[in-house]
Formats: sequence, C-alpha cells, structure tokens
Amino acid sequence: MAMDLINIRNLKTYFYQNKGLLSRIFGEGLKTVHAVDDVSLTIKKGRTFGLVGESGCGKSTLGQTIFRLVKAKSGEILFCDQDVLKMDSKTLMEFRQKAQLIFQDQYGCMNPRMTVGQTIAEPLLMREKGRMDKQALFEEVGKLLQAVNLDPDAAIKFPNEFSGGQARRIGVARAIALNPVFIMADEPTSGLDISTAATILNLMQDLQDEMDITYLWVSHNLNQVKYMSDDMAVMYLGKIVEMGKTRDIFNEMAHPYTKALISAVPQVSANKRKETVFLKGEIPSPINPPSGCRFRTRCPQTMKKCKTYEPSLTDLGGGHLCACHLHQAN
Amino acid sequence: MKKEDPLLEVSKLTLDYHLGARQMRALDRISFQLEKGEIMGVAGESGCGKSTLGLAIIKLLPKIANIRRGEILFKGRDLLKISENEMNQKIRGQKISMIFQNPQNALNPVFTIEKQMTDILRVQEKYKNREPRSSRYFREQAIERLKSTGIADPQARLSNYPFEFSGGMKQRVMIGMALSSGTSLLLADEATTALDVTIEAQINRLIADLAAEYGTSVLYISHNLGVLAELADRIMIMYAGRIFEMGATADLFDSPYHPYSAALLESLPSQQTRGKRLLSIPGFVPPLDQLPKGCSFHPRCPFAEDICKKEVPPLEQVTSGHFSACFLDRKRGRQKWQWI
Repeated sequence: MAMDLINIRNLKTYFYQNKGLLSRIFGEGLKTVHAVDDVSLTIKKGRTFGLVGESGCGKSTLGQTIFRLVKAKSGEILFCDQDVLKMDSKTLMEFRQKAQLIFQDQYGCMNPRMTVGQTIAEPLLMREKGRMDKQALFEEVGKLLQAVNLDPDAAIKFPNEFSGGQARRIGVARAIALNPVFIMADEPTSGLDISTAATILNLMQDLQDEMDITYLWVSHNLNQVKYMSDDMAVMYLGKIVEMGKTRDIFNEMAHPYTKALISAVPQVSANKRKETVFLKGEIPSPINPPSGCRFRTRCPQTMKKCKTYEPSLTDLGGGHLCACHLHQAN
Repeated sequence: MKKEDPLLEVSKLTLDYHLGARQMRALDRISFQLEKGEIMGVAGESGCGKSTLGLAIIKLLPKIANIRRGEILFKGRDLLKISENEMNQKIRGQKISMIFQNPQNALNPVFTIEKQMTDILRVQEKYKNREPRSSRYFREQAIERLKSTGIADPQARLSNYPFEFSGGMKQRVMIGMALSSGTSLLLADEATTALDVTIEAQINRLIADLAAEYGTSVLYISHNLGVLAELADRIMIMYAGRIFEMGATADLFDSPYHPYSAALLESLPSQQTRGKRLLSIPGFVPPLDQLPKGCSFHPRCPFAEDICKKEVPPLEQVTSGHFSACFLDRKRGRQKWQWI
C-alpha cells in the first residue's frame, strides 16, 4: 500500500476584488472569488495524481496553494504529516527543496540574461548557501542536462537558443536538481508538437521510475491525464466533483460533468469514440457560483433538489467519489 | 451525369519565403482538390507549411513570400491571376473566409461587437453597388449572424466590447463575421486550439453543421489529430512543405501508408495505455532552408533505404483516392510500420 505524501483537508482559497477603501464605499462592495472551495484530496507517494477541469475551475490555484504561492483561507495541507500552511520560513525553505514546480510558460520562468547553466545551478547554490566548488557545480549541471537528454554544452547557451521542447526539458532539469520527492507539473506539454510532447511525457515517466517522484499533473488534456496518472480528480468551479482511480473514472464515470468532459475529447480511433454530450453555455463566474450544485446551470440531468441542496462527495465503492444527487442514496 | 467540378483545385503550388539571403521552400508542389461541402483536415508539426497554405489560398501572404509556380483554381478561376482589388471586392471575406487561431487579436478592443460586425457588412454591401441600406438593416443582419453561431441574447450582446466576451464567444463572433450565406470556402487555422474541450466541441459542431447546411467547404488546419478524425472527411498530412499522405479520414487513421503518419499516430497518449512508452520521432523538423537531399523525412526515418537519400518520392495514388509520398509503402503495402 502506497503511503500518503500529501493530504489536503477542506482547503479554501479565496481571492477578493474591490478591496480598496474607495471601492468599498462607492463601489459594489467586496467580491469574493471562490477559486478553491473546500477541497480534500490525498496524493499517494510515488504515484501520479491528475487534476483536470476547464480553464477557471481552480486547478492551477489549488496547485499554487500547495506551494504557498497564494495564501489559503483555511484548511490543512499535510506534507509528510507537517502542515505546509503553518510552516515557519525555515521549514518552508526545506519543504520547497523537496517539492518543485514545472510551469506552463517555460521561457517566462527563465531569466533571458542568465545562461541555462546558471539557471540550473541556482537552486544548487541556494542549498549549499553559495559554498560550492565550481568544478563540482559544473559537473552536477552537466549530469542534470544529460538526465533530460540535452547536451551538457547547452549550459553555456541562453534560453532563446532553445526550442519549446528543449526549454521544457530545461525546466524539468531545474526541477529535479535538488532530488525532490514531489513535482507539480502545470500543463507541461501545452503548445508542443505531438512528437515533442511525447518526448516530455516519456522523460517524466523515466524520472519517476528512477527517482520515485510523485507528480501532481495539472492539465486540461484528458487523453494525457488518462495516460499519465494513477489517480485523478475532476474539478468544476473550485470544487471536486469526481475523484478516484483514473481507470475507474474513465471506465465508469459517474458525474454528468465528467461524462460531458470525457465525451468531448476528440478520439482518433473510431471505436474509442463516444456520443458527445454537449454542454450548454460556459463555466459560470466563481464570484457568484450557482446555489446548490454548481454544475446545475449546465447539467443535462438537472433536478429540482440540485438548486437547493449541494451534493457532497460520496463513495461509490472502491474509493471512487462523486458529488452528484443522481448517485446519492436519499 | 457529369461529376461536379471541385470547388477548389490547387495544383503544383510552390512557394518560397525570402529572408535576407536565405531562401526557404515553404510549399513544394502542393496539389489537391476540395469538393463542395467537404471538410479537409490538414495536419503536421509546426513549421510544415499548414498555415502558409491557408494564407496562400486567401492571398494574405506576407511580402517575403514568393509564389514560384502552380495555380489555385477556385470555381474554375485562378486566384493567383485575380487582381487585389477584385479579391477584396468579391472574394475575400465573402466567397472565401478565414478564421484564425487567436480571436483575442482578431477583434479590436476599442469598438463594440456591433460596430465591428456591421463595418464588414457595410463594406461588402458597398462593393455590391446597391442602394444604401439603413443602419437598422445592418444591425439586424449582425443579430442574425450572431444567432446562427449560437450566441444567447444577441440583441443585448451587440453593444458589448470584446473583453466582455469569453474566448469561446469571441471565436463564435469570428465565425459569424467569416460566414455569410455566400461563403463557399472556409479556412480554419487552428480555430479551436485556445479553447477548452467542451467549448471546442461546441465550435466544431457549429462548423460541421454549417458545412452540412450551406454546403460550405472547409479547409481545417489543426495539429489535433483527434479533432480532425471526428470532423474531417479527408485528411492531408504535411511535412516540411510537402504533402506526405492524403486520403479518407478513417482509412488514413486506421492504416496509414506513410511512416510519418504512422509515427504521428503512435505518439498520441490516447493510443497507448498507461505505463507503455510513447513514440517520439528522433530528431526534429529540419529548417526549410536546410532540407536534406532526397525525402525530407529520411534522417528521422528508421526505415529509410538508399533511394530515400537520393530521390524525392512523388505523391502517388496507392489505392483509390488515397495518396502517399514514400518509396517504401508500395513495396510493403498495408503492413503496419513497427516504430516501437
């Protein structure tokens, strides 16, 4: 049985609009964006947890809250039984060595005036507090570049000399520099060509096998999440609507939103194709989410009680959770 | 009965980009036909010439482009010989329209949707040399177009600015602008790439409905093979400015003749189960001014033989309606390419 690496309990992240004094007096008052609203989930060690949903559903915010890049309102994030939200600056530094991020816009997170070698060496120098032998550092960077199938000579080049796929691999090299146990990958292959994306996926799987890394895989590409992840959660407007083993969710999807999402994914092979469930309209604003079930405004199977009662996540058996009145006993 | 002439017939279209002293062949002897009401999917990696092909047809190429030879017959007339004036007045935006990838950049942020939609209608009306129409007429036309693309409450929405629309709705506005009853060819260049899957499904159904209802032909450029598989009647696979394979969608995706098409399909995560390795084609697409001799794919192709390094394989019909440009496919027939 795999151990729990990250345990999130009742996490809430809210953003506020019109915070200023003037807009409070003259404006429409404080507006609350319910970006992540009461989310609980468990990520098991050495496995990949996929997080899917449409843009604006809060999946990236959830990931950023785990790293304390945005402030959580309430809840707990237990990382190896320590609450990330209560860590002091010293333990937070240690946590951030063990947990790393790979961002979507790889060029955006590299300093264009630093060589790739300097970029990758930076976390190593931080860890050693600047006291590191130049030769050892040089070798370490070379090793990391080789680990992501780049030429060690790449260290003296600048970010603009690399293609999208190569830049993504540099991001991976920097993320694995400190031997992390956990990596969050936020849309790691968006904007890449099919074959290049496959290279990145292969590379990240190899690294997982070698270094026993746990991934949080944030993506809106369901085909990819199906291929990469062991467990997954589907988010809608800040809430988890369905969660469980990836295999179970794709085989016996329970929530109408999951059904619509999966059926909308275009498939190459005709026998994998499903009748597309077309959703009406678009995702509502998280400022004033609909009452009751948040999905009811677009749900093809909406009922009377969906408007008043909010469905809670219930176990359908074998750890397959779903928040929908259709699947609740009473 | 005589078979109807194809709506679009591109033959031996060859195009160079000149960048200083560098000369790059972006399209090399592209030939294909598009029937009325047909959806043709164009796929390939970035830099293979997909977008250039679209821009060449609607004649919106940048100045550095130079068409070497070939013709683009649209309803029997060569678009390359039509004057820019006539293109503007009668064809572009009316008979042939294009939807681009990024609707954010295609709409002007400082004008309302009504202003932007009616402007186009006014210009088109002006070229038709009719009696001047009232503003009300244009407004109603704009409402009609918004309605046909499935925007709720079009009357109220007309007075909105682009920032008040979501990405999917902006793309609907673009389609509404691009399509009028007279449009016979729609060029969609990565039209749904920036959208969520649920919205993407809505937009693609809209395009499919328009093709079925008005008999509009569509050249659908995308790198998402899944979308093409569901939407297109025929598929064209491009690589480094050439057509590598072309055929009926189901036929091509089930058993591709060309090793490159096979490789593209093998590298999709949806085609593999968890734990299995994905195929990644070794190497990268060569820069267009440094194409290798012979078949441009041979340095990346593990099956390449001597002839591939010397001669360029012509695009030839392998079975009825199915074309492929590879020396090896005819030898081996429909045998599967063992990439992994």
